[in-house]
Amino acid sequence: MSITDILTPDMVLPDLSSDSKNGVLRELAAKLCARHPEIKPERLAAILVERERLGSTAIGDGIAIPHGKIEGIDSILGVFGRSLKGVEFDSLDGKPTHLFFLLVAPEEAASLHLKALARVSRLLKSATFREQLMSARDSAEIYRLIIDEDEKY
Amino acid sequence: MEPMSALGPASIALLFSVCALLILTSVMLAGTSDWAGVPVVLPFLALGLIAGGTGLRPLLYQDYEVCFDLGTLTLVLILFDGGLNTPLAQVQMAIWPAAVLATVGVVGTMSLFALCARLFHSSWTQAFLLGAIVSSTDAAAVFPILRGSGLQLRKRVVAVLELESGLNDPIAVTLTIALTASLSGQGPLTLATLAHIPIQLLLGAIVGAAVGYGGRWLMLRARPVAGGLYPLLTLAFALLGFGLPALAHGSGFLGAYVAAMVLGNGPMPCRGGILRVHDSLAWLGQVAMYLLLGLLAAPVELLKVAPQGIVLGLALALFARPLAVTLCVLAFRYPIREVAYLGWVGLRGAVPIILATYPILARVEGATIIFHVVFFVVLVNTFVPGATVRWLTRRLGLESQEPPAAPALLEVISTRVLKGAEIVSFSLGASAAACGAAISELPFPPDSAVILLIRGEEVIAPKGATVLAEGDHVYVLCQPTDRPFIRLIFGRSEAS
Repeated sequence: MSITDILTPDMVLPDLSSDSKNGVLRELAAKLCARHPEIKPERLAAILVERERLGSTAIGDGIAIPHGKIEGIDSILGVFGRSLKGVEFDSLDGKPTHLFFLLVAPEEAASLHLKALARVSRLLKSATFREQLMSARDSAEIYRLIIDEDEKY
Repeated sequence: MEPMSALGPASIALLFSVCALLILTSVMLAGTSDWAGVPVVLPFLALGLIAGGTGLRPLLYQDYEVCFDLGTLTLVLILFDGGLNTPLAQVQMAIWPAAVLATVGVVGTMSLFALCARLFHSSWTQAFLLGAIVSSTDAAAVFPILRGSGLQLRKRVVAVLELESGLNDPIAVTLTIALTASLSGQGPLTLATLAHIPIQLLLGAIVGAAVGYGGRWLMLRARPVAGGLYPLLTLAFALLGFGLPALAHGSGFLGAYVAAMVLGNGPMPCRGGILRVHDSLAWLGQVAMYLLLGLLAAPVELLKVAPQGIVLGLALALFARPLAVTLCVLAFRYPIREVAYLGWVGLRGAVPIILATYPILARVEGATIIFHVVFFVVLVNTFVPGATVRWLTRRLGLESQEPPAAPALLEVISTRVLKGAEIVSFSLGASAAACGAAISELPFPPDSAVILLIRGEEVIAPKGATVLAEGDHVYVLCQPTDRPFIRLIFGRSEAS
């Protein structure tokens, strides 16, 4: 599996405007649903919030990977969002979160869902790469950086 | 033949029996600690008051020094337990706001409170003494209330509250001692005395840290015949953590806290056992302090100062603490609701009770009045925030869902320090990514593995084909570096 299967160039939000956890989740969900009208944004946001209740998906180092399973889609879909000022996301290390990778998987695709999560969390491991993402000018540059980093594996 | 005792065989037997009954009651009550958010310690206050009426009170008054020494020991044990349970990550997250709250905040709370207390007391020194006694907070009083109701606070708020409450006790103690000394005729409070306080704290921290590191060294080399002896070692370090800095004229309380923090963050054989023993000791200490407060308070005196005590108690809860906290954390740009919360949840615990015996011992004028006022201040500041804290947590949206407790604790007990992986357990929610997957499908990092599964009442050996279902309790052997990813796919780890 490669990131290009999950993330398309138009699914990048270089400057998230929300400053709350739920706001970011809604913003990411709205972006995805604009492209995939078969998903209802309220439904998706509710699923994401439900997952956050089990424990925050902000795994520290300024990264969060909100995710959930939803009926009615047949492949894994992703949205990348960047918040320049950072959002309080109940992260493991207590620090604000800047980089968000939303992953939405079909209901019955647990294995694929897990692989995608592993792929994305490995992608964001490198501190230099995260700095590059933070200083990228626009969504096109962010997308290119992600694809280049992904090809290293 | 009965053993000899200063109290005589019959009284010692009676004393033991009464103590046993009290301990039994406290443990039984602990299970039902969430009646309307009333801390479990409060019934002991009432019990103390009643028991005091049976002739115990005059006896104790003759033995104030014993109460004082008992109080010091208790406070050391409570602080030591707090230090042991303070992870380094929490210190890093909260050290600056907590340090400002514990220093500037304590002085601010004391001063604002003294402003109100001056209305009832003839001298400023007395008003400040009262302020110093009640200025330190107690996180141990807050968290059981929240846990009892399945609420869990935002990480950062918890970190700040806990660290603050550990750090501010030594400062309140030092201030109280200085003010008591000046009131008991050892000359007025000079700038030189005040300037000495930071030196005492610094000395306490340094010697305490040295005891902690020495303790770490010794723990790894001592090979006691039984693992059960380790808590005795740490008990000795608790006493040393207080004793050595105090002998060097530093703050023994800060010393004990820092020593415990250094020990707790290092490798420790039999960690689980050690922590459990210290948790119990601290718990017993809390209960004992409330009982003592009840025993020492004379109902007649209480009635006399009741209006003053209640007014001042409310002044602390509604005015002094919130204002001092707000001014302190302004620089950290916390969201307003977190500031409000920090200001509101300033529960008072055992510490003011112990501190209130200082002026009595030093025969300070008006000490009895001060003691009984403190009674009310502690009472009001346990009740008001205690009864509202859950409501406020929800209201301000600061809660996060408490993970259910693990049905079984899996722990590797060894007298050697084992390195590498730790065991973490998860209760699988339907929305966790791992739910519905077979174990062979989990993209595990190479050095971590699922080692046990509990489904309902059944313990299951996890095999590759085992499919994880909602409600399963999954035990994962996990390298510390893999923990973020493991939590990402399983959800939040269970409370152990």
